[in-house]
Amino acid sequence: MHWTATKCRQISRRGFLSALGGLAALPAFTGSSLAEALLGRSEGEDATIFASAFKDGNGNYGIGLLDDYGQELARIGLPGRGHGIAVAPDKRQFVAFARRPGTFTVLVRPFEEQYPAVIASEPGRHFYGHGCFSADGRLLYAVENDFERARGVIGVYDLSARLPERVGELETYGVGPHDILLTSDGRVLVVANGGIETHPDQGRAKLNLDTMAPSVVFLDAQTGDLVAKHVLHKSLHQLSLRHMALDRKGRVWVGGQFEGSSVQSPPLVAVFARDEEPKTTDIPAALDGKLENYIGSVAANRSGDVIATSAPRGGQTLFWSVEGGTFLGAQAIPDGCGVAPVDQGSFLVSDGNGGLSFVSDPEAPSEILARPPGISWDNHMVAMS
Amino acid sequence: MRKLVLGIAALVAIVPPAFAADFNDALDGVITGFIRPATTEFAEISARLPSAVSTVCKETNEANLRAFENAYSETIESFSRIQFLRFGPLLEDDRLSRLAFLPDPRGTAQRQIRKIYAAKDDSVLSAETLRDKSVAVQSLTAFDLIAFDKDTNIVLGADGENRAFTCGYALAIAQNVAAISQSVASEWRDPEGYSRLLLSGGGENARFRTSQEALESVFNALTTGVTIAKDQDILPALGTSADKAKPRRFPFSRSANSVVYLSGELGGLRDALTSMNLKRLMPSEDQWTLDTIGFEFKNAGTYLSALTVPLRNTFAEDGNYNRVAALSIVLSSIQELMSEGVAGSLGLAGGFNALDGD
Repeated sequence: MHWTATKCRQISRRGFLSALGGLAALPAFTGSSLAEALLGRSEGEDATIFASAFKDGNGNYGIGLLDDYGQELARIGLPGRGHGIAVAPDKRQFVAFARRPGTFTVLVRPFEEQYPAVIASEPGRHFYGHGCFSADGRLLYAVENDFERARGVIGVYDLSARLPERVGELETYGVGPHDILLTSDGRVLVVANGGIETHPDQGRAKLNLDTMAPSVVFLDAQTGDLVAKHVLHKSLHQLSLRHMALDRKGRVWVGGQFEGSSVQSPPLVAVFARDEEPKTTDIPAALDGKLENYIGSVAANRSGDVIATSAPRGGQTLFWSVEGGTFLGAQAIPDGCGVAPVDQGSFLVSDGNGGLSFVSDPEAPSEILARPPGISWDNHMVAMS
Repeated sequence: MRKLVLGIAALVAIVPPAFAADFNDALDGVITGFIRPATTEFAEISARLPSAVSTVCKETNEANLRAFENAYSETIESFSRIQFLRFGPLLEDDRLSRLAFLPDPRGTAQRQIRKIYAAKDDSVLSAETLRDKSVAVQSLTAFDLIAFDKDTNIVLGADGENRAFTCGYALAIAQNVAAISQSVASEWRDPEGYSRLLLSGGGENARFRTSQEALESVFNALTTGVTIAKDQDILPALGTSADKAKPRRFPFSRSANSVVYLSGELGGLRDALTSMNLKRLMPSEDQWTLDTIGFEFKNAGTYLSALTVPLRNTFAEDGNYNRVAALSIVLSSIQELMSEGVAGSLGLAGGFNALDGD
């Protein structure tokens, strides 16, 4: 069963690929012979570019840039383990965030001859691993922890200057904000407040599991005013709402991680909208209890009518139809977590064993495109074009 | 002195068992019992491939062709036994990708090789210049494409306009593979090399903070190896049903070495696991998992040895498809026994994204 019969729209990335060809000379990139040789395929071909954080066989961390054959084009070193990546609207720059409770983000402008700029977190704040750009690309919104007051904030950074500058801070109206996105009209920020309190002095220890209260909030991107705040039924207060993707209708699909008893199998995927009550989806019986109550990543296809939710602990990636919220199928991919759309009809899924799987049919086996030796792909992958 | 001894005793007493566990014996077992002999064997066997190529090209007769065929199969087999060692020396310098460019479902290597032939690119004719080319065209998987035709016949040495070019290119690959395998073996033999890093977890070792972390990296390479065997080397060939099977997708199917490769791949994983002697580290009630894994590896071997070759021609016959389908189920079982049974029992951390995720 193919989920769409529509032929994918090809976007020319020739300019991008040829620009990458020059990257080997830049200090930020260590172009491999593989990357340079495979760039040859850009002649007459289009390719989508993907980015993901990784750990290599020597224990070093970085960001890898890949083409839609899963071949590495470039690597950018990071000072520690990365997590999410925010891509600017013009695709000319991206920001890689440290995994929580990290204190760095790295701004990369691959087409300019400059080192990546490192943004350190403010005193009293650390990053949570995700962020997004404003519609004009000038501002970066980064979710952060005001850990002494146990409240979530959004650090606002002006990227138009030569060096990024923190120009303000917004409230997230919750604890432990994780993912953030901007609605397609560019006017509303959506934040998933995971609800879990942590303090850097205690590493990643969860301090409030009994009282946690996750939420999804809609904020005015200009003023930071709270437009709407939604929570799930109180019986699901231990379902930490963490990762999000927008569908075709502008609704927000959220993947959760359940912090309650492992013998329970609550719903793990819910759909939120500014002016509607949230709805949970039903995990199909065949997978019930097999996902270890953990969704790692959420992504929409190009047209926003299929949503992918990965469950790395359960080794399954699930696909949902936006229309009616029905389950379409699942792919068994061990430690598969990063998901990004290739086009309207397919996704690329990255895993902790280095694999890059192409999924074009939720019910047929996925195709492993590549597996760079020694690489572990981190939780998230983004399409850069 | 007495005070100091008491102090150490007190320290040992308060260290929780998970941290006190010392996995260095298991690591030493896999290094000396499997990795060093297997990488040495690969180096010795692949060192014979260049002369087998030269001999066929010098005088293409039946005896030389058979000798070449054997030398190549043995090289594939000895490589297949160590290809899952995705840590240390095999990763340096892109060596693993330069030995075999896998998977390659989009035919990248074939496309690049066609361009090389069209341009008569003579930089592939010496190992020195070949090593600077794309990894896809300098490996054993490239060798399979140039030395055999789609019906598994040897084309190395066959008359035709490309005879000299193919001979030169195949010799360069053979020399490249021999040189890489030599480096891998000698680095693993070096007592101050990667084996020392693995065996010195803790203290000053920034890579492995404990011997457990070192063992996790080795054990995860084994479980990944089983995943690769099933998801990457077998399932694409099985397709969704017997009538949609794609036997050409088996690794090294062009040279009729798929069964050789799969057998070596699983044999290497089994022998590496055995060499760690993990049983003595596991509680008695969990030890059955290792016995069951051993039993499943035997089942896998039974299915493999019953296959008739070359698979790309015989896959639809003699129950071969069903044997490989059964093999994939056996591998799922091994996968589960290793990641949930053995790793769970030893308290080894599993997937990168499943650890303490975000």
